[in-house]
Amino acid sequence: MIEEHRACIDSMKGVAGCTILRCKTPGDTTEVSGGIHEDFELNRVLLRMRAQPAGNKLVVICTKVEKEWRIGRLSGIRGVPPKFVGRKVYDNEQDPQHDIFLMRLDEFPESDGYPEHFRQGWKRRDDMWATT
Amino acid sequence: MSWMRLTGYADKFGVHPGDTIKFYINCDGPKQYDARIVKMIHGDTNPRGPGLIERAVRSPVTGTYKGRKQVIHSGSYGFVEDKPQFHLKSFTLQCWVWPTAPKTHPKYWKHGAQGLVTKWHNNKGYGLFINEDGCAELRINGKKITTGAPLRDHAWHFLAASYDAKTGKATLYHEPQIIYALDPEVKPVSAKLAAPRHDSSPVVIAGYTGQHSNAATARSSLPSGILISGMYNGKIDSPRVCNRALSRAEIETMKLGAQRGMTERRNAGPTGALSETIVAAWDFSDGIDTAVGRDHGPYLFDAQIVGCPTRAMTGHNFSGNNFDWKHAPEEYGAIHFHDDDVDDARWEVDFEWTVPKGFESDSYCVKLTSKEGDEDYIPFFVVPRVGEEQAKIAVMIPTISYMAYANEHLANNAGGAELLVYRVPIMQQQNMFLSEHREYGGSIYDTHTDGSGLCLSSRLRPILSVRPKYDHFLMQSPWQYPADLHLIYWLDKLGYKYDIITDEDTNYDGLARLENYNVVITGSHPEHNSGPQLDALHDYTQQGGRLMYMGADGFYWVHSYHPAYEHLGRGVITEMRRCESGIRTWRADPGEYYHQSTGELGGMWRYRGRYLHSVAGTGMSSEGFDISSYYSRTEESNDPRISWAFKGIKYDEKIGNFGLVGGGAAGTELDIVDTMLGSPPHTLVGATSAGRHTEAYLLVMEDFGFNQQGLDGTQHPRVRSDIAYHETPNGGGCFAFSSIAFCGSLPWNNGDPKKNNISRLVKNVLDRFAKDGPLPAAPNSSFKHRGRADYDPPMNKKRK
Repeated sequence: MIEEHRACIDSMKGVAGCTILRCKTPGDTTEVSGGIHEDFELNRVLLRMRAQPAGNKLVVICTKVEKEWRIGRLSGIRGVPPKFVGRKVYDNEQDPQHDIFLMRLDEFPESDGYPEHFRQGWKRRDDMWATT
Repeated sequence: MSWMRLTGYADKFGVHPGDTIKFYINCDGPKQYDARIVKMIHGDTNPRGPGLIERAVRSPVTGTYKGRKQVIHSGSYGFVEDKPQFHLKSFTLQCWVWPTAPKTHPKYWKHGAQGLVTKWHNNKGYGLFINEDGCAELRINGKKITTGAPLRDHAWHFLAASYDAKTGKATLYHEPQIIYALDPEVKPVSAKLAAPRHDSSPVVIAGYTGQHSNAATARSSLPSGILISGMYNGKIDSPRVCNRALSRAEIETMKLGAQRGMTERRNAGPTGALSETIVAAWDFSDGIDTAVGRDHGPYLFDAQIVGCPTRAMTGHNFSGNNFDWKHAPEEYGAIHFHDDDVDDARWEVDFEWTVPKGFESDSYCVKLTSKEGDEDYIPFFVVPRVGEEQAKIAVMIPTISYMAYANEHLANNAGGAELLVYRVPIMQQQNMFLSEHREYGGSIYDTHTDGSGLCLSSRLRPILSVRPKYDHFLMQSPWQYPADLHLIYWLDKLGYKYDIITDEDTNYDGLARLENYNVVITGSHPEHNSGPQLDALHDYTQQGGRLMYMGADGFYWVHSYHPAYEHLGRGVITEMRRCESGIRTWRADPGEYYHQSTGELGGMWRYRGRYLHSVAGTGMSSEGFDISSYYSRTEESNDPRISWAFKGIKYDEKIGNFGLVGGGAAGTELDIVDTMLGSPPHTLVGATSAGRHTEAYLLVMEDFGFNQQGLDGTQHPRVRSDIAYHETPNGGGCFAFSSIAFCGSLPWNNGDPKKNNISRLVKNVLDRFAKDGPLPAAPNSSFKHRGRADYDPPMNKKRK
């Protein structure tokens, strides 16, 4: 799963935007395959990771336009800006995507989201998009 | 790390030659900064494109300016300047409240007590508050009494406080409108307190006087020099101030408010004797489309409403029988105040520029730089006056859509946004600055800091999302303004002469703004539109005008400009409500679908019988934000009615499998032909991206009635983009390119039509549309009766 994610990210370098699919020709989205379209487990793990609430969520921060990127964490509180995580500086916008995937694999308990963890708001995306 | 020490805005998006445009600059740190005007041609820094292109413009603006800090005093409230009648010894205050954030996180940007109805400053005066613990509180001078019962959020409560100076008795009432079975009783509380002392502070509704300040940065507050603190989040309905301590029974009667001129035949309210106690009785259902909170009491102490809070909000007495405030205004007596509302930054002018007569219509910026490396751009457009057009081609810059997306916070606020984009969002310096500076306000995609929907957006503030060099998290690429520069670059590169007009111009000038052009070209994402603008476009295309719809998800949401701000310029504040359906980052509450600005029904144009597909031929069907794809020609593209557009493009050629937005021309938000939803029945589809999208692309919710599997880009036939054409009467026509990513392919290979088939296609269309006179007539054989439901898309033909 990790290898597939890495390969997808590497193949997306140069694309403005990216997804976890493999470009047949690196940097060219004309033909894509693999990744989330073929690896069901990878697909579901990524969806689980993406659905987490904003508090403490990992994010990418561009620190110099087209030159430098770093990883940060959202505060989840209005008016409190994200904070940088670690000192690693990336020279492209795709590599932090893979590192965040690895960090989340380490941070999430293997049993995350099982029915026995039910509570009010279980799996609710506390995304601050008002529910009415 | 300090983000964006230079920010600024102009007093208008579009300026006519001969007119003056003013610039307001915040320079927070550097002692001085340089300013100059540049022509802004291309703002995308992607190394696979032509990069940033700006050209120096000689103007008297060029120079070094002294830097000064200017701040936005955000948050909405009402105030009445100090009057002797408010210098009360005894009093009663009362109002209904529906608090949305009665208790906030200690790190919340405006954590603390919230003012409701106050004449209170620095331990002088009186006021009704919600304290830091979320409980009702009465303050008299430095003394506070509270019921100790937290107010339930998103629920109506009646609050009142009385004080009798003779006895010194103060009483505070908190009466929830709904009491659940296990709610503890909230009893009134009383205490003996000294009478209030007074200063010159104003009466404030939804806040209190924090400070009287001589600081330069306080001049942009209202009233100038008085900083309002304790911004309240939530609704207030029917606030009253009376000049003695009323009994509980009298308070009950006073809910009815002032009924002046009562006779035996008219009005019913407080008795004459009780009415004499009224100092102010505000009725927010009166003047919903204004910036005034009307006082129906004897002194006419109308409150100036600052910050443009949300009005036309259901009050404590909403019955659920009427949903339009115009038909039941008495049920719409509430204003929803927010601590991050912004109507006007009200900064002081740093410099201005009178545009020379005859100056070239184009895209411009003021470029601000400091020696320390700070930088910001303030975009604007030079728009010729009606009748003084400089070209036969007009680019209609979607400024309403820019305002809708202004200072958008989704990557920071919405954890769920990552599910939308299928990757981890990337935040730019603008997003980082805004995440800390909530006072710059949000976009109509955001929720307010209290979680309620944001439905009003002002252009009189720095709009950091309308900047060159800004990549939006949705696609890691330009969006709206910088994406429209892809088109400007292409027009410039290919040597077209074009004028620039804006949504505002079309809204206010109508057909006159369009009719002297042979062709009008939209931006990449003209999603937000006013009725007058759509009327003008309709008139234009029906009278032989030609429309090139360069993007997708256009003509989707109902917008209106707020009439209370017209004195500050055209289109200062735009309003939009997210109603029953459509792509909604928030959803309006029941009874709150009608605009406060014009009283018209908000939501999607589709639900007002004006299908998006009816404007330019195609309408939105899906969206996804991971990567883009490409088009193939259809059999229909060989029809002589449209084949001219594909001249120089082989039948089996991949069209637009390159680009600066998602790597392809077909991506992000996609439009299709649907004759059942307003596409004219003679619409031709020349190319489609059907079957080429990823799982991240999903059908729009207004296109299905219940959730089911099979809605994504790998499965659903409506997840596609159709490049379509139809003729309009009198030699007009509409060409729809139907993808927001589309313009991102124009700069590829420097826009060379020999090396870029998107450029070739657009050039073919523009060359034909820009010619004088009507378009060549369609062949006689194409005139026939066509039904709507029997339209047969090319993909179905292939499957036969």
